[in-house]
Amino acid sequence: MPFVPAAPTALGIFLAGPIAPADPGRFSLLDKLLLAAMIVTSAALFWKRFGVVLDKILKSRKDPGFRLLPLGKRIWDFLWEVLCQAKVIRERPLPGLAHAFVFWSFLAFALVTLNHIATGFGLAVLSGNGPIDGLVSGGFSGFYFVLAALFAIACSISIAGLFVRRFLVRPKWLAREGHQLSWESGVIAGLIFALMATYLGSFYVADAGLAARLLWWVHTLCLLVFLPLVPHTKHLHLILSPATIFLSRGGFSQIPALAGDEDFGLVTGKDLTQLVSLQAYSCVECGRCTEHCPAANTGKLLNPKEIVLGIRGYLNEFGPTAEELLLGKHNSQEAAFQCTTCGACEFQCPVGIEHLPIIVGLRRGATNTGAWEDDHGGKLFNVLERNSNALGMSALERDKFVQKQELPIFDGTQEYCLWLGCMGGYDPKGREIIASFVEVMRYLGASYGVLRKEKCTGDPARRLGNDLVFQQLAEANLEAMRSQKVKKIVSICPHCVRTIQEDWKEFGAPPEIEHHSEFLARHQSRLPHTNTGEKIVYHDPCYLGRYRNVYDEPRAVIAAAGELVEAPRNRERSFCCGAGGGLAFLGEESGERVSHVRAQELVATGATTIGAACPFCNTMFRDALAATGDNAPRLLDIAQIAAAQLPGKAEKPPMQPPN
Amino acid sequence: MKIIVAIKQVPERDARIRIDSVGKWIDLADVEFAMNESDAYALEEALQLKEAHGGEVIVLSAGPERVGKTIREALAKGADRAIHIASESEDELAQYDALGVAQLLARAIEDEIVPEPDFLILTGLQSDDLGLGQTGVIVAELLGLPHASLILKVEPTGSGTVRVLRELEDGWFQYLELHTPAVLTIQSGNSKLRYATLMGIKKAKTKPVKVISIADLMSEDLGKSPAWRPAAPVVVLEQVKLPTKQRTTQMLSGTPAEAAAKLVEKLQFEVRAL
Repeated sequence: MPFVPAAPTALGIFLAGPIAPADPGRFSLLDKLLLAAMIVTSAALFWKRFGVVLDKILKSRKDPGFRLLPLGKRIWDFLWEVLCQAKVIRERPLPGLAHAFVFWSFLAFALVTLNHIATGFGLAVLSGNGPIDGLVSGGFSGFYFVLAALFAIACSISIAGLFVRRFLVRPKWLAREGHQLSWESGVIAGLIFALMATYLGSFYVADAGLAARLLWWVHTLCLLVFLPLVPHTKHLHLILSPATIFLSRGGFSQIPALAGDEDFGLVTGKDLTQLVSLQAYSCVECGRCTEHCPAANTGKLLNPKEIVLGIRGYLNEFGPTAEELLLGKHNSQEAAFQCTTCGACEFQCPVGIEHLPIIVGLRRGATNTGAWEDDHGGKLFNVLERNSNALGMSALERDKFVQKQELPIFDGTQEYCLWLGCMGGYDPKGREIIASFVEVMRYLGASYGVLRKEKCTGDPARRLGNDLVFQQLAEANLEAMRSQKVKKIVSICPHCVRTIQEDWKEFGAPPEIEHHSEFLARHQSRLPHTNTGEKIVYHDPCYLGRYRNVYDEPRAVIAAAGELVEAPRNRERSFCCGAGGGLAFLGEESGERVSHVRAQELVATGATTIGAACPFCNTMFRDALAATGDNAPRLLDIAQIAAAQLPGKAEKPPMQPPN
Repeated sequence: MKIIVAIKQVPERDARIRIDSVGKWIDLADVEFAMNESDAYALEEALQLKEAHGGEVIVLSAGPERVGKTIREALAKGADRAIHIASESEDELAQYDALGVAQLLARAIEDEIVPEPDFLILTGLQSDDLGLGQTGVIVAELLGLPHASLILKVEPTGSGTVRVLRELEDGWFQYLELHTPAVLTIQSGNSKLRYATLMGIKKAKTKPVKVISIADLMSEDLGKSPAWRPAAPVVVLEQVKLPTKQRTTQMLSGTPAEAAAKLVEKLQFEVRAL
C-alpha cells in the first residue's frame, strides 16, 4: 500500500486495516548474519564503556543507613519526575517540553524498535502490510504505528529545537569552562532526528522496495551507533537517572549519619558511596544547578555542576577505592566552602542528584580531619565549643536579655518552649524580633517559656562539616530538652528549626518544632489587622522554603498588613541571602556579595518594606541595605510586622523596637 | 623536639559562678570546665613546633577525674600522650599553693626530662581562675632550667638555644635567647588556635594517658627519690568574694575636641580599653 499519508485519522486506521511503515521485505541469511554481527558489535562497544561505569558504582561503598522502604514516595517520584518529566518542564518550560517529547517518543518507540529489529530476523511483533504476520493484531498495530508516527513528528521538531538551542543559542549554563561543547551531543541529536525521519519516511515508500530496505538499514544503523555513544556522554542519564530518582535518600538535603570510627565524611575515593557515584554519573550537565546557585552567580569559584562532574572525573581517573583526596585534582576545597547550602541546586536537579549531601560530605571530610584551615572557621568552632553560641558572646549576655524582656523560664508547665537561638539571644536585631514575637504571644495569651540555658543548635558546625562540635551541641541540647520535658518548640530562626527537627535526629528524638511564621499564620484570625496597603516584598529564606516547604504562612502574615509583592525569584526559586552554610561567620566573600545582589532585587520591586522571616537573612540585608543609601526600604521580620498591628501600636512607627 | 605542655583545667570563662557555702572557693556543682586559655596557646605553640621540627608533645595536667576531658581535648588537637596527676577529690589539690603544685608537676615528669637541647617545657602564662602566674616559673626553678615568661614567639636556633619574643609592658617587646632545655610560659593570643576534630577525638582514644595519683607521687616506690611531701602552703586562701558591680557615669565637659581628648585619655589609662 504505497504512499499512505503519515498521519491519517485514527478512524481510518480501524476501518482500513493496518497502516504501517513499509515492509523491508525478506532478509537473506547473509542479511541476518550481518545484522546479528552489527548488534553484537554495538552491544559489545556499549558494554565496554558501560560495564566500567557500572563497576565503579557497584564497587563504591554501600550507603550506610540506606533503606529501600517505604516504596510509596519512590514510586511517586518516579511517576512524577521521570514519566511525567515534571521537574524538567517546570523549571524550563519550553526546552523542558521539548525534552519531554523526546523522552516520551523514546518510550513510544520501545515497541517500534523491538518490532524493527525483530523484523530483520523475520519475526515481527506488530503486524505490518507485508507477508509477515506480527504477534500483535493488525488493528492495534496500525493504531500503534500511527501513534508512534505522531510522537516521531513531535520528537523531530523537539530535537531540532534542542539542537538549535544547544549549538546556536548556546545558553551559558550548558557550557563548561575549559571544555568544548561535546560534539557527541550534536551527533546524538542528529541520530535521533535520523531515527525519526527514517521511521516517518518509511510510511511513504513501497513495501519491499529498495527505498524501504535502505530506510530500514539506515534506521538500524542509527540505533546501533547511538547505543555505544550513550555510556561516555551526558546521555548516560538515559539509563541511570530513572534509577537515581528512584533511589533518592528520601528527603531534601539529607546528610547521612557517619558510620563507625573510620567515617569522617567524603575524604577519599573510598568514602564515595554508591548513591554518590550513581548521581555523579547521572549528571546531564544541563546547568540548572549553576543557573540558580548564589555562589556561581556572584563570581565565586563554586559551581555545583562542576562539583558533581568533579566527582565523576575522580571516579574516572582514580576509581572508588582510591586513597587520593577528593578535594584535590578534581574538586577544590575553596569551592566546597563557598556553598551557602541554600539547596537551589538540589531542588532544581532533574536527574535526582543530591548536591548537599555531596558538598557537606566534602566539607565533613576536610573539617573532621583538620584539613580545612580557615581563620574564621577555626575561630567559629572554638567559640562554639567554648561559649556554645556562634557569636562568641558570654552566656551572661543572654541572661541579661531574658531578664530585661521579663521572659518566663520554661519549667515544663508552659505549652511552648520559645527557642531564642544565637541570633535571638545575642544579636541586637534578632532580639528585636524575639521582643516583637513575644508581644504577639502575650497578646494571644499563649503560654511559653525560654530555657535557662541554651546552646547553639550546631547548624553552622553541621553545614561546615564539623561533626564533633555538632554532636556535642546536639546531644547537650537534647539532654536539656529531655530533662526540662519540652514538648513543643517555636523559633524565629529557620536554621534552628531545620537543625533541631531533622539534623538532631541522628542523636535522639527532638521535640516538635515550628517556625514563628507557622505560629502566626495559625493565629491570624485572633490577631488584629490594619492593612495599610503599603507594598511589602517577601523574601523566602532557603531554610524555610526549600528546606521546610513553608511558603504561604509568612505571606499570609504580610498580606494582612499590606500589599504583598513578589520578587522575580520567589518561593522555591528564591535567591539566597548569602548567610547559610556557616558562611555568615566566614568573613568577606570573593566576587560580588550574595546579599547585595538579592537586596538589590528586593529593592527593585519598589516595595517600601522588605519582609524577612529569618534573623540571618535579616542581618545580611541590614548590611546590604546600608550600602543602598537613604532610600532603602524598611527591613522587618514578619513578627515585627504582626506586632505593629497590635492595639496601641498603630500610632507608633512599626520600625520602633519594643523596649 | 620533645615538648611537655602543662595544662590546667579551669571553670569556663564567663560562667555564672556562685561562692560555695564555706566562702573559700566557688561552688563547682553547676560549673562547666575548659582548658585554661593561655595553656591552650602553649599547646598550640607546642603543636606548631612539632609540625615544624618533628618530635612529640606530652600533656601534663593535675586534678580530679574531670580533667580527663581537657586532656582528651589536647590529645585530639594533636598531642601524642599525656600524664594525669589524679587527685582523689576536688579538695586534694586545693590544699597546696603554687609551690606544692609545682613540686608535684616536677616530680611527675622526672622520668621524662632529657638533657637534650631540643627539650622544652611550655605552659600558659597564668591560670584564668587563680591568676598567680607562678607555677611554670617554679617548675623551672625546681628542675634547674632556664625560663622566660610572657612569651609570644618561640624559634629554636638549632644550636642549643631558643630565641623567644617576650611581651613587656606598655607596648614594648623583648627578644631573648635562652639555653635549652628551658621552661617558657606562653602569653595568650600569639597565634590562631586550631579546632578539635572528629578524627582527632577518635585518635585520642588510643593515645596513652599515664594516670598517677598524688599518693603515688609521694611514695618512695616512684623513681629513685625517697618518700616525700609537697611543701605546706605558704599562701592560704582566706575568702573569695564576687566583685561588686560598679556602674558609674561621668559627663565629660568642654568643647567636642576637649571632651574627645578626655575620653581618649580615660579609655587609655583608666579603662585601659585602648
